[in-house]
Amino acid sequence: MLEQLLIFTRGGLILWTCKELGNALKGSPIDTLIRSCLLEERSGAASYNYDAPGAAYTLKWTFHNEMGLVFVAVYQRILHLLYVDDLLAMMKQEFLEIYDPKRTVYNDFDDVFRQLRKEAEARAEEMKKSKQVSQLTNSNIGKNQGKVQKSGLRGGNEKKSGRVSGNDDGDGENLKGQKTENGHANGNHIATNKSPSMGIVNRTENGSSDTGAFNVNKLQKLRAKGGKKTDTVVNKSSKEEPKKKMTKKNRVWNDSPEEPKLDFTDPVSENGEENIAVVAADEGESMMDKEEIISSESETEEDEEAEKDGKVETKKKGWFSSMFQSIAGNANLEKADLEPALKALKDRLMTKNVAEEIAEKLCESVAASLEGKKLASFTRISSTVQAAMEEALVRILTPRRSIDILRDVHAAKEQRKPYVVVFVGVNGVGKSTNLAKVAYWLQQHEVNVMMAACDTFRSGAVEQLRTHARRLQIPIFEKGYEKDPAIVAKEAIQEATRNGSDVVLVDTAGRMQDNEPLMRALSKLIYLNNPDLVLFVGEALVGNDAVDQLSKFNQKLADLSTSPNPSLIDGILLTKFDTIDDKVGAALSMVYISGAPVMFVGCGQSYTDLKKLNIKSIVKTLLK
Amino acid sequence: METDGFEQLKNQIQELLQEAEQLILQIPKIQLYTAIGVVLLPIFLFLLVRLFKRSKHNTIVLTGLSGSGKTVLFYQLRDGSFHQGTVTSMEPNEGTFVLHYEMSKKGKIKPVHIVDVPGHSRLRPKLDAFLPQAAGIVFVVDALQFLPNCRAASEYLYEILTGASVVRKKIPVLILCNKVDKVTAHTKEFIRKQLEKEIDKLRTSRTALSAADIANEYSLGVPGEAFAFSQCQNRVTVTEASGLTGEISQLELFIREHVKA
Repeated sequence: MLEQLLIFTRGGLILWTCKELGNALKGSPIDTLIRSCLLEERSGAASYNYDAPGAAYTLKWTFHNEMGLVFVAVYQRILHLLYVDDLLAMMKQEFLEIYDPKRTVYNDFDDVFRQLRKEAEARAEEMKKSKQVSQLTNSNIGKNQGKVQKSGLRGGNEKKSGRVSGNDDGDGENLKGQKTENGHANGNHIATNKSPSMGIVNRTENGSSDTGAFNVNKLQKLRAKGGKKTDTVVNKSSKEEPKKKMTKKNRVWNDSPEEPKLDFTDPVSENGEENIAVVAADEGESMMDKEEIISSESETEEDEEAEKDGKVETKKKGWFSSMFQSIAGNANLEKADLEPALKALKDRLMTKNVAEEIAEKLCESVAASLEGKKLASFTRISSTVQAAMEEALVRILTPRRSIDILRDVHAAKEQRKPYVVVFVGVNGVGKSTNLAKVAYWLQQHEVNVMMAACDTFRSGAVEQLRTHARRLQIPIFEKGYEKDPAIVAKEAIQEATRNGSDVVLVDTAGRMQDNEPLMRALSKLIYLNNPDLVLFVGEALVGNDAVDQLSKFNQKLADLSTSPNPSLIDGILLTKFDTIDDKVGAALSMVYISGAPVMFVGCGQSYTDLKKLNIKSIVKTLLK
Repeated sequence: METDGFEQLKNQIQELLQEAEQLILQIPKIQLYTAIGVVLLPIFLFLLVRLFKRSKHNTIVLTGLSGSGKTVLFYQLRDGSFHQGTVTSMEPNEGTFVLHYEMSKKGKIKPVHIVDVPGHSRLRPKLDAFLPQAAGIVFVVDALQFLPNCRAASEYLYEILTGASVVRKKIPVLILCNKVDKVTAHTKEFIRKQLEKEIDKLRTSRTALSAADIANEYSLGVPGEAFAFSQCQNRVTVTEASGLTGEISQLELFIREHVKA
């Protein structure tokens, strides 16, 4: 049963709650919904899950954008209530008839609501019964239909081999066997519960394919049923992998004696400071402190482009009536009207290197917030959509918490412990280079920095940091290669407390997000040392993989940490920004998927090439 | 060839001008002057009205962190009760109305324009739209959950106090400690001291950062001395209130003080 139903304004006043369901909600699900979902531009999602100690709720919502109202239903997650969406839609219609912006009390809505609920429940019962009847007859036809439609929908990312052989024998087992397991984005939980037949799943799949969004959850369920045979194979192989990769011994091809360890570290390390000329570490002001000059470009360019798109696409209503409506301003925005403009916007975002999934979700969220709104007079649909998208982008890129690192460093200094920053990321994104840049910047603000070389795997990593440390004249803590990075980091922090360094910058080895043992090692490092800031270093050249990288890193850090409050990625460092011209979409994908703000942007390979993210210019470039 | 065409054009224009002159001279003078007057007078009046209007600011801006009680205070001011409760605001609440406690007073009372700006950090930019027309800013602080949010609150307050429009127009700021009806709420003295300390620390770290941000920021207080609100050019006062019980008399006084009745 429903736990609670609410109607409130976008300004925050609750207009009506259901008096019958008087259960007090545990925790604050509504506020969390607003903060983590609606304000994060995820309002296109179907539902939101909320966990509080003692309760697990699911929330569903709908908007009325014209009047600025939000309708939210809360229910227990274990119940799968089918009538909630219908109920919300009906409530919206009925409530609008009695809504008045001046009124704040709506007690008469209680009776209306009671009726609506009975209707909705009755309808849900009907639907359930009709589903069970048709499942037996429709299994064959439904299956093939579902498969064909699914393969048609397959967009860029999913690497599933959609082998849809026209299977007329209707033998489910064959189809299941053919599906090959590939690395799926969200980590496989292969549910082993089976529902009676494939019919229901296909029916719902047909339904969801109409919306055009690729519903990953349904796909997983389908694959779960189909994966029974391949299930055991996958489990075996995944068990073998960690055993193989746990210890990396050198392969011995013949009986030759063990070779001496290849360690060409410069034995002149200690005395090298005299030999190597200390390059003046003073290369001028870091770009972090320089103000960026925002060029104000004329907006006529993008207007013309948008107009072209608009004219080509919207030939539905007829030119004269749509022009008249845009002048008179009485058109109610329908989903069909928004679609062409949103599609054009989505394509534009994707040409700017925004991940496809993110662009899709963003467009859905903007659509949800514009549906039903009245067009202001003298505006085209495309310009309204553009304005809404711009606001959404600014909202996403605005940091949720303060990114003033110097302030945090001062706070840690007062507590007499060093401020620890850990740089994580995949291979080759620029962790060590940007670590040096951050050290340079901190040094310019009179902060005592210390580096910790916890990349004990890659040859030359320690030397690289040593060179940087020598140039910048800052201490470095290193233990050479083949050591446990977590222990090295721990000792580095102890050393820093001893010699009074304010900040410890920890460099780690690059690792792929799919590599389970390496991710576990990283999680151990973070858990053991409890850093103040976990910076994910990502390059701006990355495309759709950004979503995968960040979500997997976050997930592994959360899963493999043994503490109840795992520390996730706190900030993003965007590198190689000078190599992308105006394809700045990676910033948006990364911020959207992780919720962490972009703290630094690396735009070159010298010490001064570090700057802050300029939100306005990024949004402008994205929508140009 | 081109110059020929140009010459022709010039001649044509000159001819037209001459014809127009003759026409004008033919119209009786009175009619001409009244026509010009009718056109110019509204423009003149319009400009006059705009000039006067601009000097009047009667907006009070309610701001503060998310969850401090701004929307409750807004509805208390407007209706005298907060109805069925509030949730995190996604959009500003604006209204021009006569304050609820003044409804019973006799005589003509001027309505006040009050804006409740959402406190969520993602919606910060919305505040900048309302600051230029503000006659007073009310910074609402949650006295109950003060210490965990102390840093965030002081950063927000610092940003407001160093904003260009606030410094230039010397907009008065009222720091309102809300939720004092609860037993564990901090006192306004404690809150004031904590905020001053935090802003003092912020001063040193911020000025180190923004050598280039001077266009937007001004430095607060007297360098070398510990920061105190009395050092601000604009008036900064601290009072208490309780949104849930309706104890908002100090807030109402502040509003009336800065928006002339």
